[in-house]
Amino acid sequence: MSSRKKTLLKVIILGDSGVGKTSLMQQFVNSKFSHQYKATIGADFLTKEITIDNGKQVTLQIWDTAGQERFQSLGVAFYRGADCCVLCYDVTNEKSLNNLASWKDEFLIQSNASNPADFPFIIIGNKIDVDESKKIPSLQKKLNNITNNQLGGLNYPVFETSAKDAINVEPAFEVVAKMALQQEELNDAGNDVNDDYNDAINIHLESEGSGCAC
Amino acid sequence: MSLYEAPATTTGHLALPTDKTHSRSGSSYSGNYSFINMYDCPSPGSSHAVDPTVESELEELHLTEELNSAKRLGEVAEVDEGDEGDGQGQGQGQGQEADEDSSVKESDTSDSKDGTIVGSDTSGTNAGSQVSATMVGSSSVLSLARNSNISVSTRTSSIPFDPTSSILDISDQAVHDQVLKSNFDRYGFKKPSSEGSNGVSGERYNTWFKDYSRYLERNKKKWQALMKNNGLGEAESRTKPPNRFPPKSDKVKKLIRKGIPAEWRGNAWFFYAGGHEKLNKHTGVYEQIVRDTEGVHNKDTEVIERDLNRTFPDNIYFNKSLETKHLKDSQLNSSAGKEETQSIKSLRRVLVAFAHYQPHIGYCQSLNFLAGLLLLFMREERCFWMLVILTERIIPKVHSANLEGVHIDQGVLMLCIKEYIPQLWGILGKNFEGETLSEDKILTRLPPVTLVTSSWFMSVFVGNLPIETTLRVWDILWYEGSKSIFRISLTICKMCLEDTAFNSRGNVGSGAEIDQIELFQFMQNYPKTIIDPNILIDNCFKKIGGYGFGSLSQDEINKCREFVGKQRARLTSKKQSVMKAEMSDEERRALQSSGFDGEIHDVYGFHRSIMSGVAWNKNISNRMKKKWKK
Repeated sequence: MSSRKKTLLKVIILGDSGVGKTSLMQQFVNSKFSHQYKATIGADFLTKEITIDNGKQVTLQIWDTAGQERFQSLGVAFYRGADCCVLCYDVTNEKSLNNLASWKDEFLIQSNASNPADFPFIIIGNKIDVDESKKIPSLQKKLNNITNNQLGGLNYPVFETSAKDAINVEPAFEVVAKMALQQEELNDAGNDVNDDYNDAINIHLESEGSGCAC
Repeated sequence: MSLYEAPATTTGHLALPTDKTHSRSGSSYSGNYSFINMYDCPSPGSSHAVDPTVESELEELHLTEELNSAKRLGEVAEVDEGDEGDGQGQGQGQGQEADEDSSVKESDTSDSKDGTIVGSDTSGTNAGSQVSATMVGSSSVLSLARNSNISVSTRTSSIPFDPTSSILDISDQAVHDQVLKSNFDRYGFKKPSSEGSNGVSGERYNTWFKDYSRYLERNKKKWQALMKNNGLGEAESRTKPPNRFPPKSDKVKKLIRKGIPAEWRGNAWFFYAGGHEKLNKHTGVYEQIVRDTEGVHNKDTEVIERDLNRTFPDNIYFNKSLETKHLKDSQLNSSAGKEETQSIKSLRRVLVAFAHYQPHIGYCQSLNFLAGLLLLFMREERCFWMLVILTERIIPKVHSANLEGVHIDQGVLMLCIKEYIPQLWGILGKNFEGETLSEDKILTRLPPVTLVTSSWFMSVFVGNLPIETTLRVWDILWYEGSKSIFRISLTICKMCLEDTAFNSRGNVGSGAEIDQIELFQFMQNYPKTIIDPNILIDNCFKKIGGYGFGSLSQDEINKCREFVGKQRARLTSKKQSVMKAEMSDEERRALQSSGFDGEIHDVYGFHRSIMSGVAWNKNISNRMKKKWKK
């Protein structure tokens, strides 16, 4: 892994259907917004090279996913090896806010992250361009409630964005990049002592053993 | 220049089109064609409008047919010996005009008037002028086509609107030229602009379209001859789409693979998929469901609502704002696009009704694309039953709540790639970590490429392939069944492999993550460039010079599906029993992610003689290619 020529950071965007995952990705990567995005089936991704403030060049590989619950079972293949996960909700849709925790849990199960408690998540509330009256009432309170109780009281960075008007999208992804880089370096450092890849193989052997015993 | 002057209420219905009749601008084969009236426009819900006695006679007629075809209709019965023997659907073509309808007569009268306007309206448009100018022209041809449909009708129905009228008949020279000039294709899809990175530019589209439309003309003549030989009213087929088609046979199959004339598509798909049988068995059911589900709010309708405008935002029948976009591009905002088109309303009703009728499926994203495309070719009720047929018989469980069918079919596809395109499997059959998946791991941990290919199955290529190519695949799908999806998928995969761009990537392919990702992206974008359907179809089916995937039989697919399904079931039960054992969350997670790879020992054995057939074909074709080169 240290043999990689350039630093590739894998980012997964999760969240309910229609919260604007595709729009966020498109806005960040291509600086454009369209009313004409189609519902995402399966998964899609785009890459963007950015420079982080310490001058380090990284390639962000951003995975956009289908939001409907049943599609989660298809995601296994690309959750693995993620360096950061973006949890999205729609500031006009309370349900999407309430689902953040289940997206997080599902991700941790499928990604087999080696340090689930420390895995970097970031929360994005999208569509702040809409009329104030349409927004979730007392949003801040509800969001705090969710991060404290369901997301384990962890201080994940929270951004409110508008993919449509390009508000806060770039800053959010800059943070994503930094967090992902940190995670990647952490993984690389850990690889010398306890390579998570080898780890997986060990576990595999064990499980086979226990399977036979049954 | 509003596209839809439709009555705001859902009770008034648009009485049908047909007057897409255009005064012909003379062309060589004109004689027969003056005032072509392509569209059988059964009035919405017309099967209910039909004289009840006629209906009951039809029922009787169908009773015997149904007995005959009961076997064919069964899930297992989607069997076909290799590439032969399509004899089974004999006789299903009788007495199926339940939907034929008198409304055609009404609309027949408004003939050339609109047509001439189409012509003159655009004659002034300088072909070389700016985008906006062509846009005006394009909108007008479509809007006129639509407006002309909007004759006042006093008949009421809860199922208004027949969108089949959207297909422009390009054998009419004026329309043909118009499609060329327009920014929209004949189905109302916005032609790809040059900005589009993935697809195909409008220019390339036009170059191709000129050739392809000549092909379509020749092809339609073949269809007309076929109809005539089968005693199916020649006159009928000249004036409106036939409702009956010849029984299945090798000859018909061949012609189907060459493509069904666009303006006959809806009826032909419906006919060969067994739609008439289904509909006649369930008379009035759709209307009832629509009534029952009106105003319902639940988990499914929530997702449906979000997807309605995300289905064909690039189609003028689904997105009204496209029409006005050239006028106020800058101020195009949500309000401009808010006005709902009739197609959107139909789409909502169909999807909500479907979710209600098939509760084990409910609503699954991608059904919107399937229903959306069907709605361009047939009216709501038929569209609904086609969705039922697709999800019950052709790709069962693919859209079910756990997407089990997707996993199974992807497993089957991967086994097929491994068997038939081993070279490609060497590249794709790896996980993102670059680890080559052995046979026993394929099914537990599908390779990443299945994220691309699963969408091919769920959407049956809608949005994956260019529209015209998708339609040709659909022609085959409704006639030949699910094996077509596998055959076409394999063909696309092999075309990828043979593409030089892929090879340059593939060679780098040490399996490093970054290469896997690039290949993934390539596989995802490549199908969008297959603008010429004939290349895809020929590659798939041609015995000489093609890949020979036409010999992958439904029987083989079904067996393979069964195998994969069983393996997965075994795995699941094993998983569950292990999971019940006491262990920490961490252990459980580790175990889960290890994928239980060791648990699968069975290996599927393909019918080898088929393989040798492919090899043989390949061999011959290579020799032939060399010969031709000389």
